[in-house]
Amino acid sequence: MEKLSAGWDAACLRLEDFLRAHNVEPRERLLALTLTLLGEAKSLHATTPDVSPIACTMAHVAQVSDAWFAALAGDPERIARAKVAYFSSGRNDLFLDPSPPPEFVAAIRGAAIEAGPTLEFKSLLRKEVDYGAMEGIARETWDQFSWGHVLRTFLLWMGVFFAAWAAYVRFFR
Amino acid sequence: MRPFAKVADLRPDTASLRRALFLATGAGITAGGTVLMFSIFQSGGISWLEGALLTLFVPLFGQIAFGFAIAFWGFVILAIGGDRFDIMRTLPADEPGAVPGSTAIALPIFNEDPDRTFRGLENMFRSLEATGAGDAFDFFVLSDSNDPDRWIEEETAWFRLCSRCQAFGRIFYRKRRVSLHGKSGNIADFCRRWGGRYQYLLILDADSVMSGETIVRLARVMDANPEVGIVQTGPKIVRGTSVLQRFVQYATRSVGPLFAAGSNFWHLGGGNYWGHNAMLRLKPFIEQCVLPELPGRSPADRHILSHDTVEASLMQQAGYQVWFAYLEPGSYEEGPPNLTESLKRDRRWCQGNLQHFWFLFAPGTRFTNRIHIFFGLMAYLTAPMLVAFIILSSWESYRRQMFEVFSGSIDDPAPIAWAPAALLSITVVLLFVPKLLGFLHLAPRAREFGGVLRVLASTLLETLLSILIAPILLFFYTKFVVLTALGLRVTWKTQNRDAAGIPLSDALRTYAAPTAIGLAAAAAVYFRMPDLLLWLSPVLAGLVLAIPIAMLTSSESLGLALRKWGLLLIPEESSTPEILQNLDAQPNDPTLPPRGIFQVAISPEAQALHASLLRRSRVHARHKTEYLAALLQRLLSDGPQSLSRRELTALLWDPHAVEQLHRDIWLLPDQDLHPAWQHALRHFNERSELTNRRDIAQADISRHSTRTPNPQ
Repeated sequence: MEKLSAGWDAACLRLEDFLRAHNVEPRERLLALTLTLLGEAKSLHATTPDVSPIACTMAHVAQVSDAWFAALAGDPERIARAKVAYFSSGRNDLFLDPSPPPEFVAAIRGAAIEAGPTLEFKSLLRKEVDYGAMEGIARETWDQFSWGHVLRTFLLWMGVFFAAWAAYVRFFR
Repeated sequence: MRPFAKVADLRPDTASLRRALFLATGAGITAGGTVLMFSIFQSGGISWLEGALLTLFVPLFGQIAFGFAIAFWGFVILAIGGDRFDIMRTLPADEPGAVPGSTAIALPIFNEDPDRTFRGLENMFRSLEATGAGDAFDFFVLSDSNDPDRWIEEETAWFRLCSRCQAFGRIFYRKRRVSLHGKSGNIADFCRRWGGRYQYLLILDADSVMSGETIVRLARVMDANPEVGIVQTGPKIVRGTSVLQRFVQYATRSVGPLFAAGSNFWHLGGGNYWGHNAMLRLKPFIEQCVLPELPGRSPADRHILSHDTVEASLMQQAGYQVWFAYLEPGSYEEGPPNLTESLKRDRRWCQGNLQHFWFLFAPGTRFTNRIHIFFGLMAYLTAPMLVAFIILSSWESYRRQMFEVFSGSIDDPAPIAWAPAALLSITVVLLFVPKLLGFLHLAPRAREFGGVLRVLASTLLETLLSILIAPILLFFYTKFVVLTALGLRVTWKTQNRDAAGIPLSDALRTYAAPTAIGLAAAAAVYFRMPDLLLWLSPVLAGLVLAIPIAMLTSSESLGLALRKWGLLLIPEESSTPEILQNLDAQPNDPTLPPRGIFQVAISPEAQALHASLLRRSRVHARHKTEYLAALLQRLLSDGPQSLSRRELTALLWDPHAVEQLHRDIWLLPDQDLHPAWQHALRHFNERSELTNRRDIAQADISRHSTRTPNPQ
């Protein structure tokens, strides 16, 4: 029982924090909402006692909040945009209000976040550039060049050098 | 002075005459120096070593000769009150109600500090609004950031800026999913999406700031001159705090104007483009300036790293002119805070400039562009040449057991006895007269730079620092050229623009090699050729002292002390223009920390903003959903550090995953969350509580004060 009570305390704190994160004002409304939502969560918890009070409360709040924003936006696909519009509106007193004023609803629905203007596509066509004789010389070099050749040539000449040096030491010194 | 109403007033023979004068000055000095050098070597025939030295001498001497020629003509132009053919002179008289052509202002960013970037943007936006012509301009923040935290911070900063300035629909933010081809690819992506909507494009760097008035003037100059494809401004380097930043910004203000005016003198409409703080005409830019592929064996070899010079060349091949608004005020940028950051930038530039070699001989490249490309190449290629020259000339001296190259032969005197001294004198003149001309140019406005004596002291200090830093640059430029020749790649890294000292461990790691080489060379010279030590001391001192030089020049406290003493002072430090104000202001935003991934996971506002900016896919591939679910699970249980940048980015691109993350963070009991999330959540909530209490207190105070009757 004590453990459960501590669990509801934690749920209450988390719920308060969540509402505060939504800038809910005034304080009185924050407390009223907390108590209401917590009461609803407790009722729900009775049917799902295995779930922790925090999880039960926050799942319920998320559901309520999503439903409220979906109704506000008029389209469940636009919940995120409605949330952004809510945060920009400054009407923190209306969070989860069951009957928000029509002008507020209109403002939320009319708000648009334009990350970019209407696209007006242009195709960027790369032109071939004539690099002149240097390109031909370079290509020929690349075609003929390989590190294997360089290594073989190096080894050959090292061999010649050492052979000549050995011959010199052997016969002339 | 006759008016320069439009660029068509510039006759081709005027441009030809100026180019001939400039080239004759540079080539004449080079030829004179070469003759003197030849006369030194001539006695007793020229050995293969002397032949090699002479071969290296010509481009090396040529570089300082042409540098001198630019500064000399620039000084002449500034002394007569400026160039008649200054593109900004074509600006039509103010016409009330005239609206400049539609212009996009693009700010490509890559993991930059969002606070600084968006404060600069805000200043520009407000400055443009104050001109009354702001409606013709839209801002685009084009993000290529691959740091997930930066991405979230940029979105939040953009949204707050738009909210603050009522700028939705005027300031746009675009995050590119695939960052192909760095900055040039970023700009190309903009052109592909929105290029058709605008006449002009002003390209900025993340640290660029331009006043609204300057931006409007540039657009109006473009309106007035349809033949002009690019107008490049000469951004002033400002806001430096470290010694290096303040040294560079002073140098660009003393000798910089000379080089700028001198450049415009010879290239006129055949100028160059620096990649930022410049306005482009979009239609020909889109149609004619798409970067070609270079000849190369791998795709990486074929990609052009340094796009600006190539774009200027393509623009001119398409029949458009490129001008340099060299005197235009109101255009600013910042410099790298320390030598290491400056060298990082140089390494990118080196590789980019060396790639331009392909265009040097390409048919169709304009004469002026060939010169720009050649100068750009020589800026780095002369470093290994100079190293070879120093080594060979030391060897030659050692061979002869005397200092012959500069002071004359003892056992085999040169036919012209005064030739070595004359050559040395000419070299000193070419190197230091531009500094003197810079001083003379500043002298009439010395009060803005701290007074005549301080300008003199600053010029001497700047010269001393140039001498000390030059050998370090010589070492690294040589290394960069060799690395590039070996085909080693350079990636587009973020520039650290914050002034910060170089720790000793970093300095030791980066500058140990030049120090060791300097010590070894000094020892060899001291024991084998002591007569040469004095002559080589400027080079050896810079190398031997590379570590303390790097550390001292990165020092912010020393830089600020120099400012306090009035040294290396620039006018913007005495009186900060409005456009540069508040760029360092700390964000007054209580919910800002936690930032980045923590912010999007915890703050409902940041999460909603991020989700609303993402495109929602209708199709959910099962393997992708499972992959993201696994990432999400790991993120929650093991914290953000458990995921790589790539994994975090993949998660953040999916709106459902972001929503789920946010939901789970709030839903899980503390004990089921990783300590990093617990801490972030607690921190966020404490700040929210504080903010809430502060708001209540403020509301109470204001309510109380409105009720209190005024005693008067």
